[in-house]
Amino acid sequence: MVTEVRTGDTVVRLDGVRKEYGETVALDGVSLEIRAGEAVAVMGPSGCGKSTLLSMIAGLDRPSAGTVVVHGEKVGELSEKGLALYRRRRIGMIFQFFNLIDDLSALDNVALAAQLTGTAARQARRRALELFEELGIADRRNAYPAVLSGGERQRVAVARALMNRPALLLADEPTGALDSRAGEQVMDLLLDLNQIGQTLIIVTHDEHLAQRCASRLVQLADGRVTGEHTLEPSA
Amino acid sequence: MSAVWKAARAAVRRRRLQTLVIWLVTLVSTGSMVVALGLVDAASAPFDRVFGKQHGPHVVAEFDAGKVTDAQLRDTARTSGVEAVAGPFPQATVEIPRGAQDLGLGGDIRVVGRSGPGGSVDRVHLWAGRWPTRPGEMVMNRQSDWTANALGKKFHMPSGPTLTIVGFAFDLSDTADVWVAPDQIAALHPNATQMLYRFRDASSQNALRAGLAGVTEGLPRGALAGSRTYLSIKHQVGSAARAYAPYLLAFGVLGILVAVLIVANVVGGAVVSGFRHIGILKALGFSPGQVLSVYLVMISVPAVVGCALGTLTGNLLAHPFFRFVFTGPDSGVLRDSVGIAPRVNALALIGMPLVCVLAALGPSVRARRLSAARAISAGSAPRAGRALGIQRRLAGLRLPRSVSLGAGLPFARPARSALTLAAVVLGVTTVTFASGLATTMTLFGDGGKGAYDVTVYADNYVKGKVVLPVHGDRDLQSLLGSLPGAARVTARADEDAQFVGSTKRVWIEGRRGADLPLDDVLVRGRWMHRPGEVVVGSAFLRRNGVDIGDHLRLRRSGREEEVTVVGEILQDNDQVVTGTWPTFTALLPDGKAFSYHVKLRKGADPTAYARAARAVDKGLSTQLTGPNSGAETIIGSATALTLMLALVSSLGVFNTAVLNTHDRRRDLGMLKSIGMTPRQVTVMTVTSMAVLGAIGSVLGIPLGIAAYEVVVPRMAAGVDLTLPSYMTDVWHAPKLAALALAGLVIAVLGALVPARRAARLTVAEVLHSE
Repeated sequence: MVTEVRTGDTVVRLDGVRKEYGETVALDGVSLEIRAGEAVAVMGPSGCGKSTLLSMIAGLDRPSAGTVVVHGEKVGELSEKGLALYRRRRIGMIFQFFNLIDDLSALDNVALAAQLTGTAARQARRRALELFEELGIADRRNAYPAVLSGGERQRVAVARALMNRPALLLADEPTGALDSRAGEQVMDLLLDLNQIGQTLIIVTHDEHLAQRCASRLVQLADGRVTGEHTLEPSA
Repeated sequence: MSAVWKAARAAVRRRRLQTLVIWLVTLVSTGSMVVALGLVDAASAPFDRVFGKQHGPHVVAEFDAGKVTDAQLRDTARTSGVEAVAGPFPQATVEIPRGAQDLGLGGDIRVVGRSGPGGSVDRVHLWAGRWPTRPGEMVMNRQSDWTANALGKKFHMPSGPTLTIVGFAFDLSDTADVWVAPDQIAALHPNATQMLYRFRDASSQNALRAGLAGVTEGLPRGALAGSRTYLSIKHQVGSAARAYAPYLLAFGVLGILVAVLIVANVVGGAVVSGFRHIGILKALGFSPGQVLSVYLVMISVPAVVGCALGTLTGNLLAHPFFRFVFTGPDSGVLRDSVGIAPRVNALALIGMPLVCVLAALGPSVRARRLSAARAISAGSAPRAGRALGIQRRLAGLRLPRSVSLGAGLPFARPARSALTLAAVVLGVTTVTFASGLATTMTLFGDGGKGAYDVTVYADNYVKGKVVLPVHGDRDLQSLLGSLPGAARVTARADEDAQFVGSTKRVWIEGRRGADLPLDDVLVRGRWMHRPGEVVVGSAFLRRNGVDIGDHLRLRRSGREEEVTVVGEILQDNDQVVTGTWPTFTALLPDGKAFSYHVKLRKGADPTAYARAARAVDKGLSTQLTGPNSGAETIIGSATALTLMLALVSSLGVFNTAVLNTHDRRRDLGMLKSIGMTPRQVTVMTVTSMAVLGAIGSVLGIPLGIAAYEVVVPRMAAGVDLTLPSYMTDVWHAPKLAALALAGLVIAVLGALVPARRAARLTVAEVLHSE
């Protein structure tokens, strides 16, 4: 099921989201709205709850209190299977350490995401190849993650995240494990994606990344939103 | 507390599931190994133990008292090669009164005059009463499980004297049925003199024959009337246990292989999955030796506890089985002396922990050599590029992706998968072998089943006295046939006779009625129909060198008849010759049936019939047909051992699935993050083990069939039986299909719990920890 989203519609709404791990409070009453087509950067010091916030939106974890609504769906109330389907259809995730499967080729890693939705293997590979072409890594499609460079791995991870045409692309420190050149390439890629309408949430320490790719900055500290700024697009 | 001990304790606490698996696997593996090895050992060793304790004679020799004097026999003790001698003891063959048959004695018994139970050779175990010291007293040769309440009972011997039972003694070498005081024996007209010899070289029949030849060299020609070596007694006594030996050996070997493989897999896997931890220890400043010690301690603690409890469990489980195996007229003599040998317990207690430590040593030494940085990365990132072609081919198949991904997983860690596969193969081999064995044993137990429902004996024992029927033999058969519910009645009689041309005595059995085969199963040839035709057991054919079509001459009370063997039946008694009633009465014209076997009409109540039969004549006793407990015990024990080994195999799969899940936490988290449902994770993990299960079935079934083909004929040969083909033709398509499922079931059972655990992984936690 694909929901039609128009630019400016609210895609993500968080109301008083709280997350506790034992006695540790990772998020403490976070409220936030993100609209379609926005590129939002979430910044803050280590341990401020950035990745936890992303996990809540991605449906990787459930809030202890409050609500997370994405495309009208209350994520915290979905069953395990419902969460899986939600992640499969609505979300694309990019991780700092790529999280590719070492036993699968780059192309198979990407095709896998479509095959989980029931797409035939041949069709999935065709779509993956299109993405590889778009991302400029078509010549590396048969390589295995172990022999790819960091930048190439992250491009494969981006391709995988885009495979099911998600409404929301979430990136957790996407350049954190890359050298500056590879980091720049990934930033360009994210920027291009946003410019063609892809809603983007980026968790990062990197101000340069935030400045280049995001239109809004959300600052977190001790699990709370401490500031929000609109960013001017960089040249 | 040393840093090593502290770190090892922390590792044990942190890896609770792994520790539990090691503990459980070593417990079950050691338990099955103790049962299997203990039974194999018990099947071969107890005769020697009891024989040694009694200082039994290597040769029991009977001399013709008319041809050789006692002084000449005493001189044989000085013959070269003779180690010790007992005798000469005068020996008589005495016909016994009918009442004595209640004590399990045959028609003629061997009575030996002997002054006491001790001596340098054949120390008879007097377990009840006392040794006879004067005329009129006797001691019977009986096992200690015989009830001693016949002490004081008197028997009037047809040859004259009256003898009172004053004691019971047990002689494994079976040198006599009854012993009397030397003063008594003269009245029983001894016709032979018994000498008991121990030789310095008693290692083989040839050595014993040579020793006996040396003894008789200086004696008059023909003085030696007969002899028996301890090796033939050992063969006879061990026959029941010997039948179990190949079966136990097969289970023992399978059990040990499964146990060692699983322990190696579990322990090796535990060390490999701990590489990251090893790296951290090294980074903290642990020396390579200390790291090695931490891991060996971590593995040894649950392994040693598991082995100790497994040994205890094995001993407890083996005990009741031993009690059954060593029963019956021959093997029963060993019943009190069998148990788990200390060496088996020692082997389990030392050997299994050693296997664990050795299994841990290989990967531990590897980890010891790794640099801290490499150890840390080895723990988190499996090497890429393994079996990638297989992965790609699987990805192209029209299968759900969770299935094709799972099918490829075993190839990513080939060594671990190979060990798990070996365990599954052995598990399936065991299940296949046991299933074939159980089918054969069921058919064996059912052989002749339903031939008759009630046996009516032509004697009864009331208040310590024998009561004989008032009706005649044929009248009884007619009366029993006329009772309500009776369909057919077959009479059976037997008497001993001389097998002409042999020193051996045989039992000639006659049958009269509509069901001549009764509960016997024909192996070859045909049933007897005409006078002079007989069938015999496989053991009779084998031990007497006779075949179907051969003629035998039987003699009894001056009558001699020739009979023709027309069939071979499934019987391990080598003394029974079975014919029609005219064949029997040709030798014994006054012979009477001792039992009547009654087949009831459908729906008739056997208990009511038995009651009615006893009411017809007070001299009748009855017995209802029961199950074949021997076959049931083999089926039961095979099932128990199979379940144990299948459980061990499943634990191996369980362990592999746990380790794989642990290794692939990151992949599983990622797969869930891109939309894999918990069910798909479960399917993928179960599929990864089901692949091993399917391959295990393909390899294990032929191996199990091969084990069956090797073991079952040897089991039968162990008791001189030839099984008819319908009992060994046990491999049919439905059964093979069911067996093919065995590997899958073992694998799926083992993988299910870790798979569900994997499905419940919290994605954020897993990915965050990376």
